[in-house]
Amino acid sequence: MGASIDVRDLARAAAAGDQHGWDGLVERFGELVWSTIRAYGLSPGDGADAAQTTWLLLAEQLGHLEAQHERLGVWLAATARRESLRLLGAARIATAAPNSAPATEPVAGAAAAQGREALLWRVVRELPEHCRRLLRVLLTVPPPSHEEVSAALDLPIAGIAAAQAACLQDFRHRMSNFSIRAELEDS
Amino acid sequence: MSRDTNETAEFLGPEDEGLLQELRAAVRRFDPPPDSVLEVARASLTWRTIDAELAALEFDSAVDVAATAVRSSEGPRLLTFAAPGLSIEVEVSPIGPRRQLVGQLVPAQAARIDVRHAGGVTTVRADQLGRFGADAISAGPVSLRCHFGDAPSSPPVVTEWIPL
Repeated sequence: MGASIDVRDLARAAAAGDQHGWDGLVERFGELVWSTIRAYGLSPGDGADAAQTTWLLLAEQLGHLEAQHERLGVWLAATARRESLRLLGAARIATAAPNSAPATEPVAGAAAAQGREALLWRVVRELPEHCRRLLRVLLTVPPPSHEEVSAALDLPIAGIAAAQAACLQDFRHRMSNFSIRAELEDS
Repeated sequence: MSRDTNETAEFLGPEDEGLLQELRAAVRRFDPPPDSVLEVARASLTWRTIDAELAALEFDSAVDVAATAVRSSEGPRLLTFAAPGLSIEVEVSPIGPRRQLVGQLVPAQAARIDVRHAGGVTTVRADQLGRFGADAISAGPVSLRCHFGDAPSSPPVVTEWIPL
């Protein structure tokens, strides 16, 4: 994986219409955009709309964003956040409102899924909202910068490291409770 | 980025990194961006309009209505886009899974309008009074591209994408 991929090169190429450069941006930031949207609990359908709008906006504005090519992740996170909030707001007001309850993200086969990863995922989803959102964005690959996390969740940059540590501690606590219960149920 | 790492290192221990790696794997397994989403993202480049003036969204009744105002659940959604020297007002009414648009260019003028939406591009005309309408627009992200006359000095105006 190209840790040394220069986002500015990709952005410059994409702004000139190069599909390859653009695909590189999607590969580099696709997870960050998706993570931000899912952190806000959008359903997969609304999430797909928010993602599509975010990328369309970038395609349209890339030529005007030259000064920000270096920080494109921050721009994308902020835009994904804005589009998520827009859809959440519209969902509250629309007559035939789609499910606007906080997402219990549907997970294929979760009910029967065994294994540590399934357990980890389940515990993440049961975290209090502020931790669930923070971890959902932090767990993006490649790991987002604190500036990108700040843009995605409208959090002050300075508190992110401490909040991450606190949420991981909470997570661990819940995991150990869960494991104990699971062991008891299995026995 | 190294400043982030230093800050994080203040608070997290080595065992945390192992846990984070496991959690990243779990997220990638259970909630990755769907292939369809990434495919649509890659295809977005072809929708861009070169050398067009961008008309930003200035008002959206779905978002900007005061919390205490009575929301008419039957009323259409009102959007206003603005570019230098031009406003585009659009009323959006849902008709089943589609959208009907009724619009007004301010100042009033004729134009050819490409309504770009998930179903493709629907081209309509604004009359001399700047009025236009479009039916059967697919729900999802929509953007209008307006072309004015043949004067090379007037570039097309493109509204920012809005999910309808």
